[in-house]
Amino acid sequence: MTIALALARTSARRLFVALLCLPLFLISAVSQAASYTLYIKAGTHTINGAGGTTLKVWGFTDNAGTGPMVPGPLLESQEGETVMVTVYNQHTLAHNFVVRGVTTDTASIPAGSSKTYSFTTPKAGTYLVSDTLNNNINREMGLHGALVVRAAGGVNQAWTNGPSFDLERVWIVTDMDKPRWNDIAGNGGSVSTGTYKPNFFMMNGLGGHDAMHDPNTVLQDSPGKVGLVRIVNAGQFDQSLHFHANHFRVIDDDGLRLSNPEYGDTINVQAGTTAMVLFPLRSGIYPMHVHSAQLETANGVYLNGVATLLVGQ
Amino acid sequence: MNRKMLSMKIGTALVGLALALAPLTPAAAARLGNDTVLNAASGVTINVQALDKTMSDGKTVRFWVWCAGGGGSGGMGGGGCYPSGPTLELGVGQQLNVSLSVMMAPQENAPYNGHTIHWHGLDVAQSEDGVPETGASVLGDNYSFSVDSRYVGSHMYHCHVHTVKHLEMGMYAPLVVKAVDSAGNFTNVINSGGPTYDYEWNLMYSSVDPAYHTAVGDSTVFADYNPKYFLINGNEGRSSTAPAETVTAAVGKKVAIRLFGVQSVNTTFQIKNASGSSQSFTVHNKDGYKLPSTQTLTSLNLSPGQTADVMVTLPTTSGSWYPQVTFKNLRNGGAYSGGTVYTRLNF
Repeated sequence: MTIALALARTSARRLFVALLCLPLFLISAVSQAASYTLYIKAGTHTINGAGGTTLKVWGFTDNAGTGPMVPGPLLESQEGETVMVTVYNQHTLAHNFVVRGVTTDTASIPAGSSKTYSFTTPKAGTYLVSDTLNNNINREMGLHGALVVRAAGGVNQAWTNGPSFDLERVWIVTDMDKPRWNDIAGNGGSVSTGTYKPNFFMMNGLGGHDAMHDPNTVLQDSPGKVGLVRIVNAGQFDQSLHFHANHFRVIDDDGLRLSNPEYGDTINVQAGTTAMVLFPLRSGIYPMHVHSAQLETANGVYLNGVATLLVGQ
Repeated sequence: MNRKMLSMKIGTALVGLALALAPLTPAAAARLGNDTVLNAASGVTINVQALDKTMSDGKTVRFWVWCAGGGGSGGMGGGGCYPSGPTLELGVGQQLNVSLSVMMAPQENAPYNGHTIHWHGLDVAQSEDGVPETGASVLGDNYSFSVDSRYVGSHMYHCHVHTVKHLEMGMYAPLVVKAVDSAGNFTNVINSGGPTYDYEWNLMYSSVDPAYHTAVGDSTVFADYNPKYFLINGNEGRSSTAPAETVTAAVGKKVAIRLFGVQSVNTTFQIKNASGSSQSFTVHNKDGYKLPSTQTLTSLNLSPGQTADVMVTLPTTSGSWYPQVTFKNLRNGGAYSGGTVYTRLNF
């Protein structure tokens, strides 16, 4: 259930060139279109390692023949592209598909129906994708993911003419309350949403046991290389992520580009928001972990929560 | 009348307390607060002691706290044997020289036995990072490194063994990097090239879920955090009339207030006057790094693991301010019941 950057696409990109003639200027615009087909399904999600468990989840997947993915497939595009997403709701409840800050259609997709969303990406950045219905239950149950919008041409800049980087990672962090939410909703019951005591915490769907070894989560390259980390908090708890080894620079705070970035070693990514930081790797192996009590655990078992590694070698 | 006599006379006249003001010289600021302060380059030995603390509701909570040089008093002062102590200071370019001894230390069973020191905010080499999972010894260690002027500001040091418990138990304290003059003496600048201050005051926030203090190992207790007590410098301060700490400075002076967020929940810092109005302050550093431009605010959020250095200029007429921290839950930012901790700054 890891994020594979190239895995998510379900159809090849079509490249077309549009030439726009304006009265005084000839503008050559290169536009691409990405399209995805997603399926909403019920199923299970397993957190490996001590304290791990199998949770009932609802999730997006791009494979009609498999169960849900938590988080959903990574959606990727470039600045100014048109993205088409067709969502088949193969679950028994109504759902929707919203790219926060990008799409505005929050109407439900009835069970057994489908809907196609088409949008032009507004600016390079990192966006939360989720089902916004059902008082956070649908998002908590696993219906969340991310849209990454890269600089035009796919260059290694956070945005066109923005800060450069050598490698990138997407960290989708979340939380789940197994006994009070997943077990109840997963069995068709009614969740009492006033109480939320999550006991599982994940990065890219993984507990720390796996996230500290997952190549798509661990930030690893030669010392001195600069990693762009796109952080999406799809959960309901704010997460305070502490980086060992070096200070990062915050270049994007929930969509707000910071021209004069602050340095930090700990960033608070509020529930439902995003951030982008640049982190220069240094020689050695260091942890990155959330700095809040139980969020480091899987049902109380240490380091099987939100934790991964920063590796300079 | 020399400066010291003048200062003492003013201090006595203003507040009528036994607190005498330290001499004010260009290179050294007066210290506010009760923390034990040690020079981290001087060869400090840190060990760990159990400390039973009676809380405001009469219940006792066992802490594991740092003690310097054997500690022994079990209370404030001495070896700094209290939650949030002792403060360590390190000059830019000077070699930290700290030994951790875990002999006789209270500890858990394997795999969470022993202790380490993690230098939170100082970007040290892996061998000095204090993380057992990346190779640090949990049976005692010697730490040695130096940092450059980018780090002038507030950091912290804490145990990094089974942190879900050990951080909660009280093994945390301020670590302040100081600029130095050509003779190697600490200078009173808020950051490299930044303004000077007349006083400095460390405020370390922490939160306490008593269930975490008795649970050990891979317990499901650690899956749910329910803080009952909220501390600044190891003390509850549940009202402005019973503050966690009261300090006194001279009117019109500049005070650096260093904020260390080692709690496990969200927080908001404010300074209010006697009538409850918020006073503005200027933020100079976050996470021990100079901000690109200072920020003048009336409230500042610190999430778990963050630090900040702020400065205020005191009024020219006497009075009191109440720097205070409200602790908030991670789900919706709602304040905890009894979750505001007050301190008092007289001038």
